[in-house]
Amino acid sequence: MSSHREAPEISKDPVADSTDLYAFTSYGNPDHVTIIANYVPLQAPDGGPNFYEFGDDVLYEIKIDNNGDGQADVTYQFTFATQVTNPNTFLYNTGPILSLTDQNWNRRQTFTVVRIDDKGKQTLGTNLACPPCNIGPLSTPNYETLVTSAIHDLPNGGSVFAGQRAEGFYVDLGAIFDLGILRPFQQLHTTFGLQNTGLGAMAAGVNSTKGVNVHSIAIEVPKTDVSKGGAAPTDASSPASVIGVWTTASRQKARVLKAGGTDVASGPYVQVSRLGNPLVNEVVVPMAKKDYWNSQEPANDKQFTPAVLNPELAQLLPVLYPGVFPNLEAYNKGTPKRDDLVAIFHTGLPAGVVAGFQNSMGTVQADMLRLNLAVPVTKQGASNLGLIGKDPAGFPNGRRVFDDVTTIELRALAGATLPLVDPSFTPDAAAGQITPGLTSGPTDTSAMGTENYLLGFPYLGTPYSGFAVPAA
Amino acid sequence: MKPIERRAFLTRGSMAVAAAGVVTAVPGLASGLVAVEQDAPEAESLAAEAAAAGETLTMDEPIVAHVRDLATGEIGLFSGTREIVFRDPSLAARLFRATR
Repeated sequence: MSSHREAPEISKDPVADSTDLYAFTSYGNPDHVTIIANYVPLQAPDGGPNFYEFGDDVLYEIKIDNNGDGQADVTYQFTFATQVTNPNTFLYNTGPILSLTDQNWNRRQTFTVVRIDDKGKQTLGTNLACPPCNIGPLSTPNYETLVTSAIHDLPNGGSVFAGQRAEGFYVDLGAIFDLGILRPFQQLHTTFGLQNTGLGAMAAGVNSTKGVNVHSIAIEVPKTDVSKGGAAPTDASSPASVIGVWTTASRQKARVLKAGGTDVASGPYVQVSRLGNPLVNEVVVPMAKKDYWNSQEPANDKQFTPAVLNPELAQLLPVLYPGVFPNLEAYNKGTPKRDDLVAIFHTGLPAGVVAGFQNSMGTVQADMLRLNLAVPVTKQGASNLGLIGKDPAGFPNGRRVFDDVTTIELRALAGATLPLVDPSFTPDAAAGQITPGLTSGPTDTSAMGTENYLLGFPYLGTPYSGFAVPAA
Repeated sequence: MKPIERRAFLTRGSMAVAAAGVVTAVPGLASGLVAVEQDAPEAESLAAEAAAAGETLTMDEPIVAHVRDLATGEIGLFSGTREIVFRDPSLAARLFRATR
């Protein structure tokens, strides 16, 4: 998935597992930027009695580089605390939860937000309430009202929210991880010589994340809070208008399990999860390095460049789909040097590569979600294919909730973006047609199973209720 | 009651304080370390020094020790959100023996 369970060790630690990161100019508030970091993947909505929550022992951070060195210039830290109001019941709630202070709500979380920059540390909010999980019509009858109450104003303008949302990322996991099946093209798969696989005809994609929830940390702040020098970004051609965003989760070095079912953590925080660009650690970084990648800072990402210059998936596509990618196959037989992917993932696209667009702060290789803050919101005709769909407000210029990052990256890996840096390469026709089949087309901004995106903060939709969507 | 500060801790000799902390914080090591602690003159002298200064050695939060390298005696001490690293081959060896 985007980054759900993407590395062996973090897959065993869901509350610290970053799943998706979004950064975009707020649709109706163009002087602000919204950043959403998701954690706790693949939540079955009916997962009671211990419904999902953030980790009290995890330090969650959203980091922003605004000078291109791959190091954080602005950091937002989020820490959580859980309170049990009635220790004598096994229930999450003992009656309808009608407000964030409702006594029927037995297990609740609050959070603290701290902003750090070169001037020091500022606490933006403490004891901020999270909403409960969406349980059902009796427990959370007015869920949207609870969410509205859980959107907190920040002292310098903007908003913050932390709590459950509907999963916004869509992907056909069952197909892609069954040796690279793309259902709309499955009849072209080599099938390794196996017979009677049932793959003889094209099929529609299946959204693996349909009907599951996630926990989001969403923050909307004035652009001048994160831009270089605090300047209002107005010049889209200026590197100073670009920011690089990533999220991390960290745990303290030592944890001692004590008798009686309690534990204690001690020592400095150690980074265990990281996410900038979607799918990079998932499908570009080799498995043996994934947890190591999670521990690293973006400034150190040059060490991973070989995997980006010659990605395994680009090598596999012509093998899995014989005759479908002849130009890519021929290119792969040389010495692949995918500088187009290095630009997309590691440096941003410098001026001159895509006419009228850039989102680069320099040449330091660092996996960050780079957003040109001066590119306006696309109000009409937004494309879920982002920049390759001629919509510069979308991925890889930041990432909106509806961007079809799987299709964009599959097409890029298949060679669709290679001519940007190597005009002698002609992409295969199939490179521009690859799709997992989860949207009706580029203008579909409500992909299957994720129909409930919002037009305003916190943008990701109302989480599926446990009553309405029981686990399969 | 005045908790010992980091600077004083490092100045006075980390070995004995570390041993005392580990006794409390690491399950399974305690019984073995009791004897070691009893035989550790540094701990007694530090306690006596603290008493003379009117201080009481108190532990406000758990201390966890990580013996990183027996040969160099490198030990990491975790306390709160800090890590204090020091080298004490003798203490490292005694901690190791306590686990045998």
